[in-house]
Formats: sequence, structure tokens, C-alpha cells
Amino acid sequence: MWKMPDTRESDVSLRVSNVTKRFGDFTAVEDLSFDVRAGRVFGFLGPNGAGKTTTIRMIVGITAPDEGSIELFGETVSHTLQNRIGYLPEERGLYKKMKVVDQLKYFAELKGVSNRDAEKKIDFWLERMGLAEWKKKRTTDLSKGMQQKIQFISTVLHDPDLLVLDEPFSGLDPINVEFMIDVISEFKTQYKTVIFSTHLMETAERLCNDIILINRSRKVIGGSLREVKESYGKNLIAFRGSNAENVLADKTLVLKIVTHADEQELHLADGITPQQLLKTLIDSGALITKFEVTEPSLNDIFIEKVGGSLESRL
Amino acid sequence: MRKFFAVVKHEYKKVVLKWSFLIGTLLLPFLAACFAFVPLIIFSLKGEPTRIVIVDTTGKILPRLEKNLSAERLAERAQKAAKDSLTEIDASQDEKMRNNAAQFMQDFKMTPYENTTAAAEDIRADLLGRIARGEIDAYLFVPENFDSADARFEFRSRKGGDMISNDGFKDALNEAVRSQRLADANISEEQLTQLSSAINLDAKGIDESGAEKDSSGVWVASFIIGLMIYITLAIYGQAIMGAVVEEKETRIAEILFSSARPFELMMGKLVGVGLAGLTQLAIWVGSAAVLLGFLALQSDFRVLLESAPTISPLMILYFLIFFLLGFFIYASIFALIGSMVTTVQEGGQFAFPPIMIMLAAFYCCFGVLRDPNSAFSFWVTIAPFLAPITMPVRILSETPPFWQIALSIFVNAAAITALVWIASRVYRVGMLMYGKRTTIPEVWKWIRQV
Repeated sequence: MWKMPDTRESDVSLRVSNVTKRFGDFTAVEDLSFDVRAGRVFGFLGPNGAGKTTTIRMIVGITAPDEGSIELFGETVSHTLQNRIGYLPEERGLYKKMKVVDQLKYFAELKGVSNRDAEKKIDFWLERMGLAEWKKKRTTDLSKGMQQKIQFISTVLHDPDLLVLDEPFSGLDPINVEFMIDVISEFKTQYKTVIFSTHLMETAERLCNDIILINRSRKVIGGSLREVKESYGKNLIAFRGSNAENVLADKTLVLKIVTHADEQELHLADGITPQQLLKTLIDSGALITKFEVTEPSLNDIFIEKVGGSLESRL
Repeated sequence: MRKFFAVVKHEYKKVVLKWSFLIGTLLLPFLAACFAFVPLIIFSLKGEPTRIVIVDTTGKILPRLEKNLSAERLAERAQKAAKDSLTEIDASQDEKMRNNAAQFMQDFKMTPYENTTAAAEDIRADLLGRIARGEIDAYLFVPENFDSADARFEFRSRKGGDMISNDGFKDALNEAVRSQRLADANISEEQLTQLSSAINLDAKGIDESGAEKDSSGVWVASFIIGLMIYITLAIYGQAIMGAVVEEKETRIAEILFSSARPFELMMGKLVGVGLAGLTQLAIWVGSAAVLLGFLALQSDFRVLLESAPTISPLMILYFLIFFLLGFFIYASIFALIGSMVTTVQEGGQFAFPPIMIMLAAFYCCFGVLRDPNSAFSFWVTIAPFLAPITMPVRILSETPPFWQIALSIFVNAAAITALVWIASRVYRVGMLMYGKRTTIPEVWKWIRQV
């Protein structure tokens, strides 16, 4: 039987096992475990303050876990491994008075790239980002969007095997978001590993192969996007029709109805299949113009899982 | 190691390629050169002569005054003043100003008033009229009773604010009147000079071996060395703090920490900025050597240079060692402060205590200079934080036994080890803490954390 590539053990490039991190009395991450596979985009989701950044800092080797282990490419994360990681922090910054090319060279040098190689790569990326003429300009002369692009270049300049992007799209205009998505896809096709954290579910839905959702320092759900959706998606019906009020009012069939502009979202009661509902509706003589089994959006799952705490935190 | 050197190079370039470095480096030698050369140049300049009419009914003062204000006498006076201003740094502010004033040579053109028999009121009106028309610049009334204590010399000048002229003129007049009074008392000028000549005190220090050494220039040289180390430490310590705060404020620290060890980053910063400081010191010392070489060619200054202390290569090595000790002590303190605070302004407040310690060390130098072998001098040149500034001064004024120097180096190196250890721990955690200033108990917790 053909085996799906994403289940192969050898593909695991990052393994987080039972990791806990505390700051004094505050537990930022508790008993967190997940695998990230090469050639796939991994979405790290959760509300602000859930422990995403803390986890990411441990993955890139800035801090060490108090308990548990993090293995990258089969080794414990260390400073030598850092050269293979490209990290874009959530809080961005560049040296204010330094020239673009000099900063990029310095960041590349710290990742073990020689100045000569760096120069070539800098030219390539600046050209690609449409910033070639800004090479000798200082940060203070650049617009906010340009600075973000420069920051992104510094993340990919040393051709990392693992790309860790913390909220990469915040503050970017749509064109640059598309551009970044292209680059991420490129990394994916080169069989590299991409982890990105976000609280924007639409983007995550578009880009991720696998996700993990964490809330209040703990994992809530995780797995491939398909699996996660499927496990949530069998009880939602998009419905449009008339003369169906009596059936829909039956709480043993329909748990909840959400009314949208021109259709209704039906949440099936436990143990009721879409087929059973459809049959009951037809038998009752309802006029059906739309009856579609839908999967929940990541946003729905997110809200359901994180719930009240989300509203208070976002 | 490669990353460490990358950080060193980066930090070095960041300091050295700044305008402020260039200006600071060039400005100091330039100012020093100005102090040395400008008086020389000014001697050779002559302004418009001051035209003075002297109303001297006695006829006794004018000739003497003319003699005192002759070009040769004035030149003599200016040269003496220039020399004094360089050697007597302990002169009072007033004396210094007088010295400076005297260096600016004056030219006076004196004419006696023709009609001395006229009434005083008429003469005065006539002279004031001439001053108003710009024909003359000033007049002087010599009272007939110039001998008496309450004699009033009336001097009116259109250059009333010209302190330099007034001062020079007053001195000359004073001297003229005094010599006339002496002459009236039948004492000749030569007799007076002989009677009032100062004793010649042959004061020289002796070193341990009993050999004589001239100590008059030691004071100046030690003061300069102490000041130079103090200034450099203060400037570069704060440069470190600025660099640390910038990386924290802009969140660059996060990128750096994901690329290299925090310890490497911090040490790289200290070494890079330290090298920049050494570069500046080297330029200063180099230009000072050139300047002194130039001055040695000027006969006027040869006397001065002869009293300068001899600085052996070993002393220079010691200065270098103590500068580096001081740099690493204060730089690690400033790095620690930088990683605790959130903005440069906030850092400025915290920078006050280390600056105060440096200043205290600088003031201790005066005690060391007065008695390099006292118990006080011993302790302040061994104590950590103080020794990097006080020990070079002590070495220059009177080199202590080697074991004391070694002990001082050892004590301060130990202090550096401890400080760097503490600073690196605070740096590692503090650099990633955003938003609020860290409290001392928190810092204490970070230090104890493994």
C-alpha cells in the first residue's frame, strides 16, 4: 500500500518532547510535545500569551527548556546548530544608523557565512525584493515595509534548513504577504522545514500542512490540517431552503442554528449523520435549495477550543 | 571563535567609523596644539598701538614708564608669562588670567602733554575731546604728589574694556612709580633687585636607589595620564552601554542570541569597543609625542621639557595594562546596566554611580601625587575600581615595588572575572526582557540562576 510521505519517521526534523519552561512561579510552556516534518509548513497557533514565543525561543536555542528535550535534525539544539536555523522574531529591529548591506553582512557572518558569499547572496535577495538601490542606505532612510523585507532577508540569507517565523505577516501589505508566501512555498519544495506562528487563522489555513494549537501553555490540538478539520467537520451543514422550520426545531436532530445572510449553518446533534437529517427533511416535504456538508474553518476550531480566553486575550 | 571576532570587528567599526570618534580623536590633539602654539604665534603679532597722552607735571614718571613699555621689556614679560602658564598649573585663576593677558604683547605710543601749565580742568576737557575725535586712545594724569599713599592716577581710555592693555599698562606704571620712589629714597634699582631676590631652592626628589630626579614636571604628566584614563574610561564605558541598550531596544538581541552565545556577544562587544578606545589613546599619545618633539626644537620650551619625567617602555606597558583593567571593569558594569534598562535615558541615571567611582578615583590621584608612598596611596592603588586610574599616576610619580603592582593587577583582574561573570548572566536574561526596567532583586535572581 502507498504510504503518505508525511507519516515517515525519518522526515521528522524537529521533535519537541515533554517540554516545560517556567519563569519563577509562572509556567510559560507545560509538557508540550510535537513533531515537525521536513518539506512541510508547520503552523504554530494560539492566542497571544499562550507560550508560542517562549517555545520558539527554545527551538532556536535562545533559551533552554527546564524539562523535556528538543531535538533538531536528530541532535539536541545547540549553538552549532544555530547556523542551520533562520529566525524571524516577532519583534523586529535593525541597527538604525547602519547601512543595509553592512547589517546583512554582519547577521550572515554570525551565521557562519563568509563576507564574500554573503555579498553575492545579499545582491540576489535585494534584487528579488526590489530593494537593490537601497543597498547602501541606512535603516532610518527605509520605510517600515522595506525594513521588514530587510529583516526577512537576514532570516534566509544563510540558506537555513529550518525557518522559524514568528508572526511573519504582521504589518505587511498584501503584496508583500503574497511574496513571503511564495518564498515559504519555495522552502517547502526544497524539502526544508518551515515553522511559523500566527494568530491569523486564514493565513494558517492557506499555508499549513500541519498545525498545533496551544492555549495557556498547553497543547490543545495538533496534527495535519486535514486530520484536525476532519475530526471537527462531520457535523456542520450549510443549508438553504424553506418549509423546514419544524424539522430544524427538533433538538434531537439539530443542536444549534447559526443564521447567515442567505443560508443557515446547522450543527448536528450527537449521533445524527447528515444523511439522516437530509432524509427527514425530504420526508417532511421541505424545499431544499442547498444542503452541503462543510468542514469548520480553522477559525471556528480556534474559537471553539480557545473560547472565552481568546476574547479576553486578543 | 569566528563569531566572536565577527562581533569584535562589528563593534570596533561601529565606534571608529562614527563622526564623533573622528572629531573626538582629532579635536583633542588639535586643542593641545592650539594651547602650545597659539601664544607663540601671538607673540609675533602686533595690534594697533595704543596712543596715550601723558600729563606729567613732575616730568619724572614719563621716562621710566616709556622704558618699562619699550618693545624689549614687553617681549621679555610675555615670554616669561608664557613659560609660567605652562609650568605653574597650581596658580590661582587670577594669576592664570594675568599670565594669559601678558602673553598678548602690547604696543604703546606715548606722547607728553604739551601745555602742562594750563588748568587741570582745561587739559581734561581738551584730552577728552581728542579721545572723542579718535585722535588719541587714552590719557594719564600723573599727580604731583605721586609719592603719597593716596595719590590718584587718572587714566581714561576709550578702550575701557581692554583688560589686557589696562593690565599691562598698570603694571608698567606701578613699576615706574615704585622705582621713582626708590630713587627718591636713594636706593638704586640694582640694589633693590639684589635685596629682594628670591632664594634658589634646589628641590629634587630622589628615587629608591637614591638617584636624583627632577619632579617638577611629574605633577603635570601624572595629572594628564590620570585625566586621560578617566575620560577614556567614562566615554567608552558609556559607549558600551549605548550599544547594549540599542540592541535591546531594537530587539536585535533576539536575532543575535539566535546566532551566537550571549557570552561571545558580550565579550565581543567589550573587546571591540576596548580596541576602539585603545586606537584613540594611541592616536593621542602618538600626537603628543610628535608635539613634544616639535616643542623640543623650540628653545623656549627646552627648559620645560627637561623637567618632564622620563617614561620608560615598561611604564607604557603598565599604563596599557591598567587602562585595559579599568576598561573591562567599567565596561562590564556598563554592559550590565545596559541590559537592565529599557532606554538610554534610563541608563544615564544608572550610570551615575560608576561615574562617581571613577571621579573619586581621579580625585584620589591628588592624594597619591602628594605622597606616593603613604598608606593611603598603597590602598587606593590596590583597590579594585580605583587602581586603574590611581596606579598609573603612582607609577609615574614614583614607581612602587613590583609586588604592589602585581598585587594590584591581580586584585583587579579578579574583580573583572567576577564582574564579567555577573554581567554575562544579567545580559543573557535582561536582553530579552522587554517593556519594563528590571529591579535589583530580579537581577539578583538571574545571577543566582544556573
